Amino acid sequence: MAQGDLIEGVVRTSEREVIEISIPGSVDLVVLARFTAAIIGARAGFDLDEIDDLRLAVDELSVSFGPLDAETRLRYTFIRSGDTVSVRCTREPSDEAGDGGAGHSERDLIDWQQARELSAQLLDELVTTHGREIANGRSVAWLTKERGTGAG
Amino acid sequence: MEGSMTSPPQPASGALDLPTLEVEGELDLAVAPWLRDQLDALYVGGADSIVVDLSAATFLDSTALGVLVSALNRSRARDGQVHLIVHEPQILRVLTITGLEDQFALHKDRVELQRKKGEL
Repeated sequence: MAQGDLIEGVVRTSEREVIEISIPGSVDLVVLARFTAAIIGARAGFDLDEIDDLRLAVDELSVSFGPLDAETRLRYTFIRSGDTVSVRCTREPSDEAGDGGAGHSERDLIDWQQARELSAQLLDELVTTHGREIANGRSVAWLTKERGTGAG
Repeated sequence: MEGSMTSPPQPASGALDLPTLEVEGELDLAVAPWLRDQLDALYVGGADSIVVDLSAATFLDSTALGVLVSALNRSRARDGQVHLIVHEPQILRVLTITGLEDQFALHKDRVELQRKKGEL
């Protein structure tokens, strides 16, 4: 078992960790991404406010894609490198059947343009850097957050 | 749905005398459509101002905030206001970052709201 460093009650056993999760395009599963963000933020030595900010920021990455549906999955890659956390969220096609997608109510009842504008404001303040890109034909939203820096 | 159980819209609560909705838990994309429905119901009786009690809410993302902004626009069109009861730091931070803390009428609890109403 590797010797770890005790930092604010959290044992960090390596300098770099990668956690990947993939969820169906269902709005009530995005909480899993927030949960993962909290864990990896703690392992990076973030304080409670920084962890809260990272949770919200990861949620906002999901919002940036607009309405979710059963034909898509969201793949999150969380990377902790020292005291920096990077998150990439990729919207992928899904071959799964089912009605897990948000679809109707979210699509119709949410003002997505307004939500995206608010989301961009929040991300500007919550994280060190963030952006969107197309990689391998798929939409990607990403962020990085360093411990003890930025607005956190 | 994580921590998003909410009470139904509360009718005028005692001296508040405004349509009031109490919500608790995490207000995110999964909850935002429900929130919008509940706020719509508050306006059915022709109300101009409403109260949204976020005392027991712990999380607010851009989609749920957008729903509150829509309610604010609706109230303002009727010369009314949306009163938010909120003391959770993370939610206050969201309102501050987005520059909306001065747009809503913020109160730390119902007592403060009642006191401010009495001063008007």
